[in-house]
Parts: sequence; structure tokens; C-alpha cells
Amino acid sequence: MRDASAPDLVQVDGLKMYFPVYSGVLRRHSGDIKAVDDVSFTIRAGETLGLVGESGCGKSTLGRAMLRLYDPTAGRVVIDGEDIARLSPEALRKKRPTMQMVFQDPQASLNPRMSLSSIIGEPLVEHTALTTAQRQDRIYELMDQVGLNRRFANRFPHEFSGGQRQRIGIARALALNPKFIVCDEPIAALDVSIQAQVVNLLEDLQDKLGLTYLFISHDLSMVRHIADRVAVMYLGRIVELSPRDDLYARPLHPYAEALLSAVNEPNPERARTRSRILLKGDLPSPANPPKGCNFCTRCPKVFDRCLTEKPALVQVEPGRKVACHLFQTLKPTAGSTGGFHTQDDFQQGVTL
Amino acid sequence: MLTFTLRRLLLALPTLLFISLIIFLLVDLAPGSPMSEIPLTVPPEVRQKMIEALGADQPVFVRYILWLRQFFWVEPATLIDGWFGLNLAGNEQRILSWQSRSPVFTVIGQRIPQTLTVIGTAYLLGIAIAIPIGIYSAYRQYSFFDQLGTLVAMIGFSVPTFFSGTLFIIIFAVWLHWFPTKYDTTLLVTDWPSFVLQLKQMAMPVMVLALANAAAISRYMRSSMLENMGQDYVRTARAKGMTERVVVLKHVLRNSLIPVVTVIALGIPSIFGGAIITENLFGVNGIGAALIGAIHANDLPMVQTLAFIFAVLIVVFNLIADVLYGLLDPRIRYE
Amino acid sequence: MNLKSALLGAVCAFAMAPAAFAERGTDGEVKLTFPQAVSIMNPYLSSGTKDIFAASMVVEPLAGYDDTGALIAKLVSEIPSVENGGISEDLTSITWKLLPGLLWGDGSPVTAADVVFTGQYCMDPAGGCAQLSKFEGIKSIEAVDDATVKITFNAPKPNPFTAFVGSTSPVLQKAQFAACMGAAAPTCTDPNSMPLGTGPFKVTGFTVNDTVSMEANANYRDATKPAFASAVIKGGGDAEGSARAVMSTGEFDYAWNTQIAPDSQAAMAAEGKGVFVVAFGTLVERLEMNMTDPSADLPEGERATVKHPHPFLTDINVRKALSMAIDRQTLTEVGYGAGGAPTCNIVPAPALYASDNTGCLTQDIEGAKALLEAAGWVDTNGDGIREKDGKNLSILYQSTVNPIRQDFQALIKDWWAEIGVETELKAIDPSVFFGGDAGSPDTFQKFYADVEMYANNFDGTDPEAYLTQYKCDKAPSPENQWQGENMNRFCDPAYDAMIAELSGTRDEAKRAELAKKLNDMVTKDSSIVVPLVHRGTLSAHSNALGGVKINAWDSELWNVADWFRVK
Repeated sequence: MRDASAPDLVQVDGLKMYFPVYSGVLRRHSGDIKAVDDVSFTIRAGETLGLVGESGCGKSTLGRAMLRLYDPTAGRVVIDGEDIARLSPEALRKKRPTMQMVFQDPQASLNPRMSLSSIIGEPLVEHTALTTAQRQDRIYELMDQVGLNRRFANRFPHEFSGGQRQRIGIARALALNPKFIVCDEPIAALDVSIQAQVVNLLEDLQDKLGLTYLFISHDLSMVRHIADRVAVMYLGRIVELSPRDDLYARPLHPYAEALLSAVNEPNPERARTRSRILLKGDLPSPANPPKGCNFCTRCPKVFDRCLTEKPALVQVEPGRKVACHLFQTLKPTAGSTGGFHTQDDFQQGVTL
Repeated sequence: MLTFTLRRLLLALPTLLFISLIIFLLVDLAPGSPMSEIPLTVPPEVRQKMIEALGADQPVFVRYILWLRQFFWVEPATLIDGWFGLNLAGNEQRILSWQSRSPVFTVIGQRIPQTLTVIGTAYLLGIAIAIPIGIYSAYRQYSFFDQLGTLVAMIGFSVPTFFSGTLFIIIFAVWLHWFPTKYDTTLLVTDWPSFVLQLKQMAMPVMVLALANAAAISRYMRSSMLENMGQDYVRTARAKGMTERVVVLKHVLRNSLIPVVTVIALGIPSIFGGAIITENLFGVNGIGAALIGAIHANDLPMVQTLAFIFAVLIVVFNLIADVLYGLLDPRIRYE
Repeated sequence: MNLKSALLGAVCAFAMAPAAFAERGTDGEVKLTFPQAVSIMNPYLSSGTKDIFAASMVVEPLAGYDDTGALIAKLVSEIPSVENGGISEDLTSITWKLLPGLLWGDGSPVTAADVVFTGQYCMDPAGGCAQLSKFEGIKSIEAVDDATVKITFNAPKPNPFTAFVGSTSPVLQKAQFAACMGAAAPTCTDPNSMPLGTGPFKVTGFTVNDTVSMEANANYRDATKPAFASAVIKGGGDAEGSARAVMSTGEFDYAWNTQIAPDSQAAMAAEGKGVFVVAFGTLVERLEMNMTDPSADLPEGERATVKHPHPFLTDINVRKALSMAIDRQTLTEVGYGAGGAPTCNIVPAPALYASDNTGCLTQDIEGAKALLEAAGWVDTNGDGIREKDGKNLSILYQSTVNPIRQDFQALIKDWWAEIGVETELKAIDPSVFFGGDAGSPDTFQKFYADVEMYANNFDGTDPEAYLTQYKCDKAPSPENQWQGENMNRFCDPAYDAMIAELSGTRDEAKRAELAKKLNDMVTKDSSIVVPLVHRGTLSAHSNALGGVKINAWDSELWNVADWFRVK
């Protein structure tokens, strides 16, 4: 797909985002909600990393913490050579043009009292020295890029449809020529018919502008469409990080397996043969995760070690990382698809 | 917007007429007599004659119709006569106060200036104090400042003005001798010393009322700010790399002000309504003091007219608040 | 003594001189404050004390009363009497002679025509004159010449000093009020708020229910008075605030009606900036006993009427016992402090008319018990309430909403409980209680209770009209739309006969004797009326104000012309 040898644009290293919990009359610090707990990965320049997981697993928090919309509790987020997590507020502000975000709810994320041109133009005023006319040209250019009619420049957000609003959100994100964009469920709030348009727009823009995306979604089929690699998150931790095709063909982590079993399978033949794995129980509270593997409470393949020891995310196959005790050794394990498959022989994995 | 305003005004007319009738009946049915303040040394026959001379013995509907005519025709005509030297009103009777035998509107005219200066200043000052407090309290939610602001607001809410007023009098007038306790309505501001005098005599009532106003408005401001602070567009603004100043003052504040402005606009009739207790306590003798005095004396024309004017003001400012909302919030459009 | 101190002494002497030889307008401004603001400056359209007092600085009657209650000439050369020929032998007319050279505030002369006009103005039936009773029984008022007025009465009038005597009945200027006769009276806003007068001050500004601004009247008859160049009366607030403005902050020179709690009085007086002065007039806080049955079981129209005598208050022993159980000294201390004195009379003053009736001043709980016991009122069923013939001594005791009155009610209820009388208390809004609305069950005239408490007084120094109120025919009843002053429905032919005798008696000593007897008949002898406290009007003036002589018989500001600044 994309250039696998490209340098890493984003490096996330041991990122933790804990939200403190206060309780009691004196509001004592009684614990933390571990929304993101020790997450590490990299994104290569020009790549799209999909981030999937069920609601509440911390994927949006991870996206926001990476852009330091939250102050991370620990860890490093190096974007384009600078550790975002440690920049001073002013330096961070200066850095903002490099990294942008497209938000989930295009209605809520646009200031209702600002017109389209001021929404798109505001970062230009703040971060560039453009004259009014130049700025206006740039706004029109951006509107063209995202497919918005120039006549709409003075309208307010509520006058647009959901898809149009998301285009505004994208144009706004593009205004300062960012390198890295976190797309936080950008299509979740849109009609199905519009979703594809927006995703295609994002892909087109990536091709044209060489953007790097972190594409957060719970829509696995859309991620399959856009992402190069996919990270699967469960309860604040990445459980599997694999190239897209490998993952979809042969998920390694039991959670990824369960998750993917729920995806609509376009191939009817395959759909007939596969079985859906239903997980039992509820997602544990991130304030009080299990002692061992986070997934141990619901894992169909749980065994003793899972209950006591948290598995680390380790490379188990070339290009594939999994955090599961089943994969700690290189030997194939009972019940697993196991083995040292390369990216090329993924089809062989489907032998069940 | 114009059609909306006109339609609302038209709809308001029957409402107001109905309100005026209700007020009239309520005031009339209230127990008491305009003669109750007269000493017992005045014999009953004389009282009866006095009541007749006031017209207070007429049936209630005759008095209501007469009042309507006086309010909607004689008084405006008298006003126009006064401006252009005409004689539209002729010799028709204006609305007379039973207590003072002066035209009610003359009394209101005498009262409005001090009410507007004192209560109006207190309102503006209250807003000026409340908005920054509300903004900062919300921005630093649960900080020491916020807790302090909450405490002050609680005090402002819960301490009645007669208590804070008396406390201020004892501290600032009796102990410190800084300010006078009685407001001099005859003081004319002509030069610097008289201006200073005016400021001094306004200081205490304004402080008392501003505290009460600020308490309420700062809470509105704070909650409105908090509501907007968590909105996605604020995150967007931060993600755009806006400074905190721009984020708070431009994005959050502007959106948060919409409901607050409405609340402020809705509160304006209360400026005209005066502050009964505070006015009485400091001898400001504005509209509020006039109303309570009239109620005590069963001065029906005065009470009726004032109550009706308040009703009109409330209807008008409700409309103004709606229109303002439409102007401030592009999402609202009135057809 | 060196030169310096000699010079200093000289300067001082020079400085003192103006005070000794006062001149008009040298003492700056005198500031007065009333807790109730002035509504109107025409006493004929208002009988509010605040309005009458304020007006008394501007408009004057022919004669007034001094601080002892003696008549003094104001606009006339002398007080008419039978001896000097001013009053006709048959008591049917009185002739007043105006001072020569008397001028109105605008410089025009005061003539008899003004006096005649004022009479016509008040007697006009459509005018709603509040002082009409002062002009009762007058056949005619005529100007004999420019300076002489003759008032003729329908019948001999032993006390002809009603019209144009006292601050409630001043002389108005004909020229100013000519267009304000009858129905037009209330509409004359400007004359009503800024009347021209002969008094020491002249109105320069009037804001209704707020401020009256005045300046010294350049045409006042005494060229050296008033000492103050201007005066202002600020109204509004409460008694506490008014007292504070004089006694604590010193913003005002004089505050009328500063009746505040006795402990606040003491605290303010201790600050030493001013003094409280009290005018003891004729105001008496009293209990009135209902002689008729107010039971709600009776049909409307018969309830509280003479048709149904009261089940137990008609027993004089019960009334006496109720009176004996009360400690009037305690009531006075709790409620009024310096502003009150315990009394047993409904005519407590002037001294000439006040009965030496002090028997009630000592509380006698045991005596009261014994009296009830002897009369057959005993507690047979042990519920603490005495009864007789199946009738419980159970009383509904009503008064107006007023903190002092509620204190009194609570205290008296306790005392009565001690003697075995059960009391239910009721407090009514004063505007309803005194409102006289025949449709309301809560007026003091209807008296749908067993006992009621309020204060009453009489105007001037002569109690005749006041005592007349207890005549049989003055009882309020459905027939007279509940108008009348005999709340008790007291009826004693001997009393009525003595009233008739009083009205025919001119000799002052004899009148006083009769008045005392009448007073005793309703109080000491029968306990129909149970007086509690003789209430004064408490006012305050600053130590910097001189010349104040408190007066209970006329306006407190009666001698405002003599007031001066203490330097």
C-alpha cells in the first residue's frame, strides 16, 4: 500500500491518560479512570492508522491526548520530531498547525455563532500573516478542496446538512496545512449515504496533500476501507496492531477475533462458514480494570496466567503485534490459528 | 423579525387588557379602605364624605371603565398637550392618587429619576461585577476563587436586603460616617462636590442591590459558561491553536452570553419596579417606595396604575428578550 | 488675662450676639425627617398627622394650643371670651379679630374674606373635607369687616374653639383656592401641595410622599423669625431609621414619631448626639369589652348587636377581674419605654380633665381570682378554665398586626390564664381593622370578638366629643351600617344624661368635674373600657437644635418659628 519505508511521523510511547476520581466529603483523590493505559505505537508519514474498539474503550481519549487536548498523565507523543506531551502552552499553540483533528459531531464542534468563513479563517488569522484578501482566497480554496460551494461562505453552521458540516470541519482542519490529522469518528454522526462521500474525500485529500491520519472509528468496514494498519483497543490498551489485511483475514488476539466476527462479510460464501463469537459479560470499569489481562474477564480462551499478569504488546509475527499470553511464545497454541505467517500468506490462516 | 414583533405586540394587547382587569379586581377586592390611615378622631360621616369625594364609592366596573379611559386616553392626551401646547385632554380628570390627590403620573414622574439612577446603577454594577466573576468561576471551576464566588453568591441570594442594608448603615453610616442614611432626592448634580455627594448617597443602596443582582447573574453566567466550556466547538477552537484568551472570551463567552443577556433583559422591568425594601430603607423614595406606600394607604388608582405599567414593561421586555435572542443567536429565526 | 484671651473673649461675645438677638434666616437649614412621608400639604384633604404637622409650618389657624394645652392667639389679636365680648353671652357666636398688617407668603394682605372662604371650602358637601367635624353646628361665617370674622352657631356652643383653632383647621388663601371648591378640591394639585400661608416657612418644592422643601417666609409677622433660612422635611423609611438619622448619624435635626423598642431608645440616647422628647396627649391604648354576644352561631345582622347580651362580659365582676389581672407597668416597659405611662383613664390629659384614678395600676391576681370565685365563676371540671351556668370564661381577643400589640396580647393572655380565663388571640391587618368596610367581619366596629385592643385619642383639649362616643345611640349596628364609636355597645341612661349636662355646661371647673365622672363611669366603675397605657409621641431632636418645645395639643412643630441652631 503506502510506502512502508517512510519515516515515522508520529511516535507514541507509553502514553497514559488517567482521569482522577474524587470522592467523599473532602473530595479525596480515591482512584483514576485509566482511559488510556500505557499505549505505544508509531504512524509512518502518509499512512492511515485505523483505531478500532467498542465504545468507551478509550480510543477518542487517545486521539485527544495525542493532540494534547487533554494533558496526558505520562508518556511521550512525538509528532514531527517534537514531544507534544511536554511542550510549553505557547510552543504547543505554535505547533498546532502541524496536527489537526476532525471531530465526530460536526454540529457541536462548530461554533454556532460563527460563519463558515470565520470558522475556517480563524486559525489563519491566528497562525499566518495573510492579508484579508489572501485569507479570503485561501478560504475559497479550502472550500473548493472539500467540495463546498463558495456562496456558502457567510452562512452559519446550522444552515448546512450534516455532510456539509463535516466538510467544513475538514476544511477547517486543513486550513493550516497540517501533516497529521486525527479523525475522531468523523463519519459516525452522518447518514450512511454521506459516510462514503466523506471517507472518499479524506482519502482524496490524503493523496493530494500527503496527509497522515489516525482514523478512529467503531465502524470496522469503514476502517477496512481507509486504513493501512489497524490498532484494536480494549479498555485503554492496544491489544493488537496489525496490517489491515492481516487483521481482517486472521485476527490474532481473541478480542480482535470476536470484534471482527461481528463485521458484515461481503463474501456470502465466507459469511456462511464463519461463526460469530459472542462475548459474555460487560466491559469492566476503566476505573477498576482487572488485575491481569484487561480482557481476562470476557476472554473465551482465558487461562491462569491471564488472571495475574498483564500481557505486553509484542511482535509475534512480522509487522504484527499482539498483547496476549497465547502469543508470548513463538509456538502455535491450541485453539489458535497460530504460526509464523507473513503478510503474504494470510489467506492460509483461514483454515478453521 | 419585524412581522414577528408586530404580531407579538398585537397579541399582547388583549392580554394586557385582561391583566389590567384582573389587577383592578384584585386590588379592589383586597380588604382595607382608603380611609384606614385616617385617625379615629375623624367621625364616620366625614369619612363617608371623603370616600364619595374620591369616587371610591362607585361600582367597581364604573371605576374600571373610567380608569381605562383615563389611562389610555386622558393621560396620553395630557402628555401630548404638554409637548405641543394643545388641548386634547380638555378638562378631563387625570388619574388621581387618593392619598396625595396628585395625578398618578406626576408622582411617577417624580419617582422615576431616582429609581433609575439608583436601581439602574445597581443593576449595571451588578452585571459588571457578575460577568467577570461568572467567567472566571467557570473557567477555574472548583478553584478557591470559584468556591469564594459561590459563597458570595449564596450570601447575596440568601441575605435579605433589609438585613444587609441595615448592616451597611450601621457600618458605613453609624460607625464610619462615610455615607448618609437618607437619600436626598432634591440634590441636583451641578458640579464636582455635588456629584461626590450624589455618589456618596447612592453608595449604600447601590451596594446592597448590586450584591443581590450580582449574585444571581454571576450564577447564570457561570452555569452558562460551564455548559459551553465542555462543548466540542471549544475543543475545536483549542485544536485550532487559539490562545486561551480567544477560546474563552470569543468562543465560550459569546455563546454563553446569549442566555445571560436574555436574563438581563428580562430583569430590566424590575429596575422600573424599584426595590421596595431598599428604597424604603434608604429613603430613596422611588417607584418601589411609592408602590408600597400606596398599598398601605389602599390608594387604588396608584396601585392599579403602577401594577399595570409593570405588566406592560414585563410584556415588552419579554418581547425584547426574544428579539435579542434572535439577533444574538443565528440559529434562531422568527418568521 | 493677656491681650490674646481678651480678644478671644471679644470675638466669642461677638459670635454669641446673633443667637441672642436672632435675625431671620441666619441659621442655615433645619432638617426634619418623618417615617411616613408627607402626601399633601392641605390639612382639609388629609387628616394624616404627618401631613398636618408639615402643613403647620406653612399654614396657620387663627389660634392654637401651646405646650400646656392653653389657647394662644396666632393670627388674631386676642382669644375671644365672653368677658372680652368675643363670645356672645348666649354662646351662639364667636368673633375673631385679625392682627393688623398680616400678610400672606406672597405679600398680599390676609383678610376676613380668606377666613370666610376657608369655612365655605371645608363645608362644601362635595369637597370631602377631612376636618368637617370642626365646622359642625356652624350656621354662618361672615366677614364683619376686613379684619373681623363672626361665626354663628345653630345652638349655644360651650366650646366654640373648633373651627380655625389648631393646626388641623388653618386659614387658606382665597385667591389660591377659589377654583378648588367642592368636587374640584382634590384636583387642585398645586395649591394642595404648595399652599400659601402665613406661617414661618413657605413651600419651595414638594415631591409627593418624599420631600418638602421650604424657605423662610419673608412676610412672616415677626421680622426676626424664623432663625432658619430654609427647612426640609424628608419622609420615608421607618421609625428606627428616623431616630438613627438624628441620634446616631446626626444627618437630621428633628425626627417625629420615633417610637422604637425601649432598648434601642436607651442605646441611641446614650450616644449623646440628641435627645428623645415625648408628647403626652390623649392617646390611650385600651381594651374594649364587648357587651353583646359576638358568637358566630347567631345569624348575621343579630351577631354582636344589643339583641343578644354577652354571655359573661355583662357581668361586672368578670370585667373587673380581667382588668385587675393586668400589670400595666410591665406592659409599658415592654412596649413603649419612655414613650408611655400606665393609666387607668380614657381621658388621661389635660390635667384639668384627668381623673385621679390610679386603682388599676397595681396588678392583683389574687384579688381577681377571689372576685371571680365570689361571683360564682369557678373551675368545676378542672380544665383550668372557670365556668358558670355552663358558660366557659373563654375569650376571643383581637387587635391589629403590630409587634407591640402582639407582645401585649401574649402577656395579657398569660395573666388571664392565671386567673382561669382562656384566651384566643387574633391579629388583623390595621387597614382592615380600622378600614370601616361594612362588608368585612374584621373591623373594630363590628367587633366580632369578646375583647379588642387599639388606641384612641381626642383632638384638642376638650373631651366632650370623645366622651360622647360612649352614648347608647353611638353603638355600631347593622341599622347604621356599622358606623359609630361606641364599640362596646355600652348603654347607660345615666351616662347619656350626664353627657347632655356636659354639653350644656360652660363653666370650666364644672365641665372638668363632669368629664372626670364620665371617665370613671366607663373605666373604674364598670370596666367597660380597660385603659392600659397612656401613649406619648416619641420624637427626637439633635443637641444642635434649640427651641424645641414638645406639644401634644397641637402640631409638634407649633413653635418652629422659634427654633434655632445651637452654636
